[in-house]
Amino acid sequence: MFEVTGLTFRYPRNREDTIRGLDFTIQDGEIFGLLGPSGVGKSTTQKIMVKLLPDFGGEVTYLGKPLQSYGKDFYQKIGVGFEMPVHFSKLTAAENLAFFKKLYKSHADTDALLKRVGLFEDRGKKVNEFSKGMKIRLNFVRALLNKPTVLFLDEPTIGLDPKNARIIKDMIREFKEDGGTVLLTTHLMNDVDELCDRVAFMADGKVSEIDTPKNLKLKHGKRLVEVEYQKGEAVQQDSFDLDRLGESDAFLDIVRNKRIITIHSKETSLDDIFIKVTGVEIRG
Amino acid sequence: MLRYHILGAGFVVTIIWLLVLHFTEVIGVATMLPLLLFFDTTSMTIILIGVTLFFEKQEGTIRSLQVSPINRSEQILAKIGGNILSNVQTLVILYLYAWFFKEIELSFFALLAAIVIIGLFHSLVGFLLTYRARGFTELLMGMFIYFFAFMLPVVFEQIGLIENEMVKGILYLAPTKAAFILLNASGGGLKTWEILFSAFYLLAASAVLLHFVLKRLNEFALKESGV
Repeated sequence: MFEVTGLTFRYPRNREDTIRGLDFTIQDGEIFGLLGPSGVGKSTTQKIMVKLLPDFGGEVTYLGKPLQSYGKDFYQKIGVGFEMPVHFSKLTAAENLAFFKKLYKSHADTDALLKRVGLFEDRGKKVNEFSKGMKIRLNFVRALLNKPTVLFLDEPTIGLDPKNARIIKDMIREFKEDGGTVLLTTHLMNDVDELCDRVAFMADGKVSEIDTPKNLKLKHGKRLVEVEYQKGEAVQQDSFDLDRLGESDAFLDIVRNKRIITIHSKETSLDDIFIKVTGVEIRG
Repeated sequence: MLRYHILGAGFVVTIIWLLVLHFTEVIGVATMLPLLLFFDTTSMTIILIGVTLFFEKQEGTIRSLQVSPINRSEQILAKIGGNILSNVQTLVILYLYAWFFKEIELSFFALLAAIVIIGLFHSLVGFLLTYRARGFTELLMGMFIYFFAFMLPVVFEQIGLIENEMVKGILYLAPTKAAFILLNASGGGLKTWEILFSAFYLLAASAVLLHFVLKRLNEFALKESGV
């Protein structure tokens, strides 16, 4: 669906490129995660892909045609979910949605969407009376109001309580099941793990790793088994190589003769991979 | 415009203009009315564009519109249209007051045409000053600089401090002078070429400004914002 080849970009007042030769593809019907530390160029990449930054190097194609060849109709089928609120604060939620709906040819059932995210009862309230979480949920409805086929989402669950975050994640998954494509940017690795078919880690303006979450874990994982067992009065902990587990006399001895408290295959989390690949710890 | 009290704020300013007009002698109305309309279609227009853009930026709606199937020219012309509507509101109220309570011999339609042209030009000036400003105070500073640069020489000419013919000729390039000429033309007594030149000059300058306003809208919308 999207093909990004040799993408470069430099902001007018910068001396160095923010994006330095980015290559990746987003396939039709997948949820693609774009991850990386702040300032690495994720938002810039998204801005280029939604045609907000036209002066880029390299090539970006959408449905086989260069992005530059599309006019404003490009947005008829694109939904963009911003991290920050993007609504007229002195209008009600319903008025905001009605205003933006008029700009599009096709319309989703916004009442149904508001019900789903738990805002239907508050649709008559002015947005400046909304809490941060309510504004974020309204942003998500705004992104879906034109029945898009592609969704660009920036931190869609940040600032939401677990119940509402679950609703948004379910809706993203359902959007994909209905044939939609998603580009997701987030720092919440649980969301990535749960939702993304493939992820790209960005570092220094380039893609440093790109694969499925599972493959990344296998690639960067230690493939160990960690066992906690009772040894006399104390609790002992040992690790064993997963690939030669059956040949390990020490492991077999523990299994046969000791009281095992816990036993886990040691899997690397996406948080660990993020730190390893980008060299930056995740904050907030 | 109603919900954000833009028309209401415009109405309050009109009341202030109305009070000024009320205390003006009948003989001075022909001078005072164009002067009040001049301030309304220049300074108020610039401020209104700035307020609207800063508000939209603060609320993030300008970003939301950037990713909607609406052209930049439509966005800009909608704002200019709103501004001119506010200017027309002022004109109608002041003109009706002057018509009923004072004596007025100015052409309404000439004033209407003048404020549309002046409002268009100064809305575009408002866009460019707002793009450059980091906040409302900087916008006001920019506006003062604009008026000092283009207004004072015109005033000096009016009160006879500038007599050099070449300088007087150069002053025709000041948009403020063109605005004065168009507004004063409603009372008659001006040379036709002056009126035509002023109208053409402001329209041509508006076309040039529109090019830069369109070009820099995205940059303004994206400054200090994530997607």
